[in-house]
Amino acid sequence: MNSYVENHNIFGVFNDEEILISAIKNIKESGVKIKNVFTPFPINEVFHELGLTTRFPYFAFVYGALGTILTFAGLYYTSVMDFPIVVDGKPHLSMAFIVIMFVMTINIGIVLSLVSFFTVQKLFPGKQAVIIHNDITDDKFVIVIEKDHNMSKPDVDKINNLLVCNGAIEVGEKNDVENI
Amino acid sequence: MYKAKVRGVLVEDHKTYKDITRDILAPIEQNAPTWWYPAIGVSIVMLLYGVWAGYVTITQGIGTWGLNNSMGWGWDIINFVWWIGIGHAGTAFSIFLLILRQKWRTSINRAAEAMTVAAVLCAGIFPMIHMGRIWMAFYIMPYPTSRLLWVNFNSPLFWDVVAISTYLMASATFWYVGMIPDFGTIRDKTTSKIKKAVYGFLSFGWVGSARGWLRYEALAMILGGLTAPLVISVHSIVSMDFSTSVMPGWHTTIFPPYFVIGAIFSGFGMVLTLMIIIRKFYKYQAYVTDGHLNAIAKILTFISLIMGTAYATEIFIAWYSGSEYEYFTFFNNRITGDHMIGFYGMITCNAIIPQLFWFKKIRKNITMVFIISLFINLGMWFERFVIIVTSLSKDFLPVNWTDYTPTVVEIGIYVGTLGLFTFAVLLFFKYIPMIAISEVKGILKPTSHE
Repeated sequence: MNSYVENHNIFGVFNDEEILISAIKNIKESGVKIKNVFTPFPINEVFHELGLTTRFPYFAFVYGALGTILTFAGLYYTSVMDFPIVVDGKPHLSMAFIVIMFVMTINIGIVLSLVSFFTVQKLFPGKQAVIIHNDITDDKFVIVIEKDHNMSKPDVDKINNLLVCNGAIEVGEKNDVENI
Repeated sequence: MYKAKVRGVLVEDHKTYKDITRDILAPIEQNAPTWWYPAIGVSIVMLLYGVWAGYVTITQGIGTWGLNNSMGWGWDIINFVWWIGIGHAGTAFSIFLLILRQKWRTSINRAAEAMTVAAVLCAGIFPMIHMGRIWMAFYIMPYPTSRLLWVNFNSPLFWDVVAISTYLMASATFWYVGMIPDFGTIRDKTTSKIKKAVYGFLSFGWVGSARGWLRYEALAMILGGLTAPLVISVHSIVSMDFSTSVMPGWHTTIFPPYFVIGAIFSGFGMVLTLMIIIRKFYKYQAYVTDGHLNAIAKILTFISLIMGTAYATEIFIAWYSGSEYEYFTFFNNRITGDHMIGFYGMITCNAIIPQLFWFKKIRKNITMVFIISLFINLGMWFERFVIIVTSLSKDFLPVNWTDYTPTVVEIGIYVGTLGLFTFAVLLFFKYIPMIAISEVKGILKPTSHE
């Protein structure tokens, strides 16, 4: 989960995704914990190296199933229980319900998936983004490592060196960066 | 998965990530080109004509249209189906190609989705206004009324309400979600304070964190997976507005697939028209390459063959079924009769002219491709005209026979929607990245010259 508590961080900026991926591997191997990675486009190798997975597709399936059940319940209530009117001799509980159920399964599945995405990802209109680097949405890739309160200057230098040695073109510090 | 470069180079001219950002944001950062202002002026004039026609319709009723007892549907439903067909392009392009993992979609999907949203908005106007008393439109929604009645859930007309509103919601949200990272890019790159504030608001605070991208990709696949069957169902449902009736020429089982494929055909045709305009006027040849246009042309050739087969099947079954009413509709009121122009226009534009795409020389000639794309748009309008006007104007009883000519009010509503569509597309050119920046960056390295 993301968290926005005040925190101090060291970041390294990279020019290329291949250098970024190799840096992530090396930093992991050196025992330093990566707090987050920012890229201008999705990179599957980054997800793999950071061990990220999502249960989103399972949720979407449940939302769709919920949509089917709710729609059938609504149709059954209105057309069979509340006001069972005969139209063209068709039965009250009609196979034609499938059409509405099909479309509403998709409708409810989409709406709930969107709500989940924006809620879990904590995205909303007007949210002030913490921008680590101005080119983060352009052509730069960023690795963020948390700066512990007890960290001494040599420790910080060591992390900066680690980032530079692995290809970072720029290092710096930034507060309040979201956790992975 | 993407080792083989079956599509060749998708981004030309050795572009870097920075070049992509700069090129795609250029129309937003710079003043609009000189042609943009007269174009938007013309679209506003067309829109005003439509507003006048809508005002006349609402204040005086649909008696101002050329409809009568036999011709209950005319330009309203012709244009409704035409726009909905065009509105299938975004989904056909963006979503089918997304779930099929086709990388060449990335330069085109944004414009196709924008076009979808504008076209579905235009389509929605027609069924609303054709009800006559538009202020009673909420009657079509299922809600507990004082009359203790529910809507007829078994009616294809109600299915239409559910399907089209769901389709509008799905395509609009899919389009918007796709733009969030690009709005973030504009927020970070623009020098204008106003743009920074506006696009910052619209970007929802997007920063491109690893988990954000993972969830974003999962959401895109979920929306794509859910919306792909929706495309099939929406135009199948539109076709059932016709095929569940008993009118000759309408009551056929071929209608749902025939309508779906026709919709994708017209949508691809409009995408081709629009992408050639974007490519030419905004100099996006490096992103919308000859290869992209070639691929669309090839798909259109194939769909055109299916369209031709559908037309031939309808005619064959009208004869083979032995139904004199079906025979009359097809042989005396389409192939011959008062509406021959519409019928032959449909066959020529949809089944014959696109076959020119078999020739590589024609596929490579952008002017020819553009002209053929316009013929497809016209042909699909003819198809809807033929379906609606021939079947309704001469039904089972000769005493009911009539003819149909649209009035200036009906024409005005259609012209108004063309104006609305053009207006929306021109705003899109100016204020929204026409090509999905983050998506093109994602396919740059595996598909570029390097």
